[in-house]
Amino acid sequence: MTFEPRITAFVCNWCTYAGADLTGTSRLSYAPNIRIVKLPCTGRIDPLFVLKAFEGGADAVLISGCHPGDCHYASGNYHARRRWSLFRKLLAFTGIDENRVFFSWVSAAEGQKFANLVNKVTEQVRAAGPFGERNLARRRL
Amino acid sequence: MSGAIGAMRADAAKLLSEGAVKLVLGYCVRGNERYPCFISEAAQAEALDFDQSCRQNLAAYLRKPEVRGRAPLAVVSSPAVCRSLLVLSSESQIRENEVRALAIGPKGYGGILGLGALGAWLKADYPDLVPEQALLDRVAELSAKTAQERAKFWMKEFEKCTRCYACRAACPGCYCERCIVEKNMPQWISSAAAGHGNYAWEVIRAFHQAGRCTGCGACEAACPQGLPLMLLNARLSQDAFEEFGSRPGYELEAKPLIGSWSAEDDGSFIR
Ligand code: SF4
Ligand code: SF4
Repeated sequence: MTFEPRITAFVCNWCTYAGADLTGTSRLSYAPNIRIVKLPCTGRIDPLFVLKAFEGGADAVLISGCHPGDCHYASGNYHARRRWSLFRKLLAFTGIDENRVFFSWVSAAEGQKFANLVNKVTEQVRAAGPFGERNLARRRL
Repeated sequence: MSGAIGAMRADAAKLLSEGAVKLVLGYCVRGNERYPCFISEAAQAEALDFDQSCRQNLAAYLRKPEVRGRAPLAVVSSPAVCRSLLVLSSESQIRENEVRALAIGPKGYGGILGLGALGAWLKADYPDLVPEQALLDRVAELSAKTAQERAKFWMKEFEKCTRCYACRAACPGCYCERCIVEKNMPQWISSAAAGHGNYAWEVIRAFHQAGRCTGCGACEAACPQGLPLMLLNARLSQDAFEEFGSRPGYELEAKPLIGSWSAEDDGSFIR
């Protein structure tokens, strides 16, 4: 059986979710490996969300929001960027590296960018292989 | 050092006898070890001592209501404890008129210092309190391994954790009245002392100290299971310093690292 990555995406309501919507209404197709969780803002994405996703079965996590300067709440994405910059390094230090956590800015007008992003991330995770059910971050059944 | 300790004892006695403080938090000797002690009488000041083995961070007591209720108080403060006092002050957890430091370190005794004077003492005598080289070498060595090897290393370590939370109790930065690890509606971190709950606990404990950890080492010293917590702390402190110039505990008022931002922050990892 070929490995189909499961990717959890945490996206903001105002830019990336709208961008993903545009991808659909533009009838662009993209890899069906992504499960989108919509949040008001990237600033709302707690590091615990990422750990929960890995705990519950994700092979990778994608986080995406508004471009710098475009945040609906003015600075949520700036707050998020600083937090992720450190958190991703801590994750990598404990063994969850850059093949597992992805970041992007996708605006409401970038339907094509969203499709390309999901395709590329899916390919990279496919190449990296499954997250590993024996990884300590995973819930054991 | 003995001159420094004599001067520190004399100052502690003076503060208590004058009634300037009601309590002195310090260390005293029992057998071959030094333990935290609280003294409230000038005559007890003779029992105070200090050396490099005093790794318990006395600033951690300041968040306890039964200790704070006895303010104003004085704290025997190593450079790392002084930094913790400044972190607590910048986070509005302690006030200038509540706490005085009896500042003491490898370079001698710094006298009775108010919170406002700590920064100058630190910057003059201990301007570069970075993680020690041996620790940074271990961090570099582990960072150079593959992700799989790192995962394996930490899996072995994290599995030892019994979730006693001694590391949390020892850390002056962990002062939330209700820790995220104890919240269960919803439960974000499994409370079972195994597997994914341990992973989440260790990673989140470390991350909640990002830009706040003063590298005192009290958490690791307190861990009965011998987890190398300072590897996580040092890695984060190093990243926070290199990326954002973060040096917690040198200023009386400072913006929190997480909780502030700059338009110039690195975005190269974002596609
Ligand atoms: S995390 Fe550990 S080293 Fe850092 S301030 Fe807390 S007790 Fe000290
Ligand atoms: S002190 Fe050690 S064993 Fe106890 S909770 Fe902290 S890391 Fe786990």
